[in-house]
Formats: sequence, structure tokens, C-alpha cells
Amino acid sequence: MLEIKNLHASIDGKEILKGINLSLNSGEMHAIMGRNGSGKSTLSNIITGREGYIISQGDILFKGNSILDWSPEKRALTGIFMSFQYPVVIPGVNNTYFLKAALNAKRKNAGEKPLDAAGFLKLIKEKLKEVDMDPKYLQRAVNEGFSGGEKKRNEILQMLTLEPSLAILDETDSGLDIDALKIVAEGVNKYRNSERSFLVITHYQRLLKYIEPDFVHVLIDGKIVKSGGKELALELEEKGYSWLES
Amino acid sequence: MNIARFQTEFDKMMNRDYFSEKVHPMRQEAFIKFLKVGIPTKKWEDWRHTNLSSISKESFRLSDGQDAPKSDIDISQYNINDLETVVIYNGHYLEALSSIPAGVQLLSGLEYLEKKDSGFNSPEHSPFDLLNTAFMDSGMSIVVDQNVIVEKPIRMLFISSGLESLMVTPRVHIDLGESSSLTFIEQHVGESTSFFQNESVFITLGQNAQLNHIRIQSNSVTTANIVNIQVEQNADSQYTFFQFADGSQLGRLNIRAELKGEGANCAINGLALSNNSQHLDNHIITDHQVPNCTSSQNFKTVLQDHSSGVFNGRTIVRKDAQKTDSTQSNKNLLLSKSALMNSNPQLEIYADDVKCAHGSTTGALDTDALFYLRSRGLNILSAKALLVRGFATELLDKIKHDGIRDFITERFDIWLTENSTK
Repeated sequence: MLEIKNLHASIDGKEILKGINLSLNSGEMHAIMGRNGSGKSTLSNIITGREGYIISQGDILFKGNSILDWSPEKRALTGIFMSFQYPVVIPGVNNTYFLKAALNAKRKNAGEKPLDAAGFLKLIKEKLKEVDMDPKYLQRAVNEGFSGGEKKRNEILQMLTLEPSLAILDETDSGLDIDALKIVAEGVNKYRNSERSFLVITHYQRLLKYIEPDFVHVLIDGKIVKSGGKELALELEEKGYSWLES
Repeated sequence: MNIARFQTEFDKMMNRDYFSEKVHPMRQEAFIKFLKVGIPTKKWEDWRHTNLSSISKESFRLSDGQDAPKSDIDISQYNINDLETVVIYNGHYLEALSSIPAGVQLLSGLEYLEKKDSGFNSPEHSPFDLLNTAFMDSGMSIVVDQNVIVEKPIRMLFISSGLESLMVTPRVHIDLGESSSLTFIEQHVGESTSFFQNESVFITLGQNAQLNHIRIQSNSVTTANIVNIQVEQNADSQYTFFQFADGSQLGRLNIRAELKGEGANCAINGLALSNNSQHLDNHIITDHQVPNCTSSQNFKTVLQDHSSGVFNGRTIVRKDAQKTDSTQSNKNLLLSKSALMNSNPQLEIYADDVKCAHGSTTGALDTDALFYLRSRGLNILSAKALLVRGFATELLDKIKHDGIRDFITERFDIWLTENSTK
């Protein structure tokens, strides 16, 4: 599904990623853990195509194709999705309109007919239930006036609607109270299947109690210093990160 | 246009036999004053960002009989649903194409002036006020009696046409009696190549009267449009203004709203879209003279290419105007690095128990928002268009009349399609 090979990346002349190697197969859930500033968010931004980073070495393959030259929209249409750490507020843009436009862009790309208003409404109402969101959110502007938890649920709603094959959850647990965390985790768990992969970026292992990863990787100073099973997350919870620092 | 040329045109005007002599002294006095001050230059504080060379260099002549339509004209292309229309073509009122709802008196600007015994409004805030008084020759006046609620909006459709350099000087009066209500639309259209319109609109709102005033400035991008709007509000009256401007090479909107009766409310809004070398300019003054009035100014501009714009908003709160509640907001979106916006919201407060807020932002499209939309599969053009549309939505939603909102939204979308691919 996703293969990251010896990825080196810098921004504003500062090297952030210093040779990342990572391989995700279909159906796998990987967690990347690390402190603030270790390069976690840079990695998710680069996979989704945010501009401003210089890739000096390495490559990222998605479904066998190098994607480094692809626009963010091409990556999205091919099946990459990121749940943002800080979902962006877009005043004046109606949530329904945005979601429908995004879904229909994806359908068009797949050679399917666009959904009309009624068809979309039916679909979105089902998805709303899965993340326990009130339909009134659809009438608001994208993320405007949403609480932290509502924003994150809206991200998961978008994931469920757009049905990506690779979902990156960037610090999805931050800003969530325990109830919202459970709802989000449930949405993710229901979405898991053998065709879909996840990359969960997190600081704490809190989220991993509810979403169990197959693999855990520790990112320190732009490098993966240790990989293991889900028990590694517990070990980190207990010991912190310093024992892994050289 | 040099001063001698104005003199030639003024002499022609004074010799027109169909004009009432009653207004001649008023014209003469205004013209003499105009000659003394001349066309403003960039050295004038209120005009320093406004390049008036298209007016001062061109030789315009007064529109006359030869500039009336030669044959029937088709106005269906300007259709807006559900309203009454008064058509003014190069300054000529076309009665056959016009209709007026019951309960409303329609007078020519000059008839109106003759009817008023004395004290008609002749402000001198700028040389263009004087020039309008000197040359006023078209436009219509609408008088609504007290307690009359005019259901259907009345539109004045101003069409400018032809290849010659014409000067047209509409004078519009809107008089709303106590507790009456009206929606008034000015729509400026046409393909004339060189045209100077200096329009003045005088609005008097009786106690508890409501006027919803919409101005659509969509005439050709080679014309110069100056408009001077003067509003007088009595107690509990409500004035709502919305301008949508996507036309004219030089567009300058001057509004002075005077809140003279307690409980009056005034909301002045504008959305301007400019490209190429267009310059769209908004100078708004809201003058709180008595206590307990509310007002807002809310302007947005979207600028493409090397176009430029100005927002100069002033809210004055006089000593007696306690409990004033006012807001001022100006937001501008630069779609090109060569576009230029001057934003200057100002508060002048002489009372001590008031609530006044103001703010201004100017910038390019939010790159985080753009990335967010693209990361959901929208291509860069759709994403940009969606953001610009979102930027304007707040203002478009303020248009209460469905037919007009749909019309303006459609024009907005056309502009967006033509201008977001650059």
C-alpha cells in the first residue's frame, strides 16, 4: 500500500526527516509515536502533499507509484486521506456543499456518476450516525464554531464519506474528551478492513487503547529508532522516550 | 476634461429650453463653485488613491437627442425576476419600457425639484456634488406616501451605450413617508466605450420608514462612474444598502448617511470584484447625530491582476449621540501579487457612552485552507473558487430579495469562473 524509502526532507533549510523507512501493507494499522518536534507531522504532511518541503533523498510509493510529484488532490483521489491535527475553519463554505463536491470529485475520477442532492443526503445521514453528529452541522460552514471534538468528528465523517484506502490520523486524539475519543475510535474501528490501511500519528498511547495498532514505530529526531508490536506503546507510556535517545 | 470644455457643455445645458428656469440659478451657482475647485487631484486627502485622469483627460459631451435609442431596445438580457423597471438609456427615460407599481409617484428629477418649495438638498462635499447640481439632467424621483408598503422592488435600469464620449448626470430622489417601505435597485449596465456618469442619489426616510437600496454596477469596464449618495434618516427608520460592483474602469462610491432621529439603523454593505486595471473605490461616512442609533459598514473586495481598490470608512459619533452601537469591517482578498488595496476604517467619537468596533484585513487566499480542500480531492481551481465564494457568502446572504440575490450570485460566479484560472 505505502512504502517510504530513505526519506530525507527539510523545510527552511532545516532537515526534519533524516532517512525514514516504512512499509504498510493492506489492512495494517501502524502507529508512529514521538515527541513534539520529532518529525511526525512533517511526515504526514509530506505523504499528503503539502507544499513547502524539500525532499533531498528517498521516495514514497503508494500502490506502487511514486507520488512525490503528485498534487495533493491527485493523492486524495487515488486514496490517501489525512485527518488533520488542526482542521481548518473555512468561513462561508457550507459543510454539505464541500463534502458533496469532494465526494463527487472522487466519483468522477473513478468514472462513477455524481450523486445528486437527495442521494448525497441519504448517504451523509448514515455516516453522521456513525460519528454521532447532529445533521445541523451540515448546514454550518466547514468547522466554523465547531468545538475541538466536533472538528475531529468532522474529520472522521469525511473519512467515512470519501472512503480512502490509506487514512492518516494526525494527532486525532488531541483535544478530545474521553467520550469523543471513544466515538472517533469506534468510527475508525468499524472502517478497518483488510483492504484499508492506517497510519496513526500520536504523542500518547491514550488513543491506542481504543484503536489497536499492528505495529508501533518510534520517531526521534527524524528517524525511526525502534519498531515493534502494540506492546511497544505501553512500554513508552511507562518509560517515556528518553531511554531510546542516543 | 479641461475646464473650458465643461464651460462649453454648461452653456449648452443652460440653453436647453425644456428645462425649468427655476433650477437655473442653482445650476449656475454650483457651476461657478465647481470652476473654482476643479476636478480633485491626488493631493486631496479624500482622493489621494483615486486616479481621476480618465475624467480629466477625456472630452465628454452631454448626452442629447441623438443618443437616445434609434429603435426598440431589448432589455430581457438584464432580466431580474419579480420587480418593476424604469429604464434610463444614455440619460433618456424610456417610458414605453417602464412600469411603476401603484402607490408610488414617479417624477423626473427636475419635476421633483420644482415641487419642493425650498431647501432642496444641494450638498457641496465634493466637486462632484457641485458638478451634479450644475449638470443634472436625468434620473427619476420616487415618492412613497406614509404607511405605503411597496411590495415589488423598483429597479432603475441605467443603460450606457454608444461609441462617443458621453457625460450623463442622473439625479435621483427617494422620499419615503412615515412607516412606508421600499426596495430600490439601481442597475448600471451597457457596453459604451467611453462614458462618464456622475450620479447623485438623495434619500430621505421618514419616521419608521424602511429602504432597502441595492446598487449593481456592471457597466462596461471602460467607463467612469462616480456616485454620491446622501441619506437622511429620521427616528426608527432603517436604511440597508448593498452595492455589487464588477464593472467600470473607475468606480467611486461616496455615501454619507446622517442618523438624525433616535432609534434609526443604517447598514451599508459592498462587494467589489476587480481585474485588469480597474479601480473600485468606496468612501463611506456614517454620521451619528443623536442617541440610540445603530450602524454597520461591511465591505469586501476581491482583486485580480493589477486592479486596485479603496475602502475609506468613517463613523462619526457626535457629542449627543450616546448609546451609539456601530461596527465597521473591511476584508479584502488579493488574488494577484500586483493588486493593490488601501483600507482605512476610521472612528471619530465625541460621545463617551458608545460601543464602536472596527477591523480590516487584506491578504491572499489562506494556504492552509487551500491545502485542506485539495487534500479532500478538489482540484486547485475548484478549491480556489470555493474559497473566494466562501469569502463573499457572508455579504451575498445579506441580500434579502431572492431574485436579486440569485442574479448577483450568478454574476459573481461568472466573474469567478473568468478570474480564478489566472
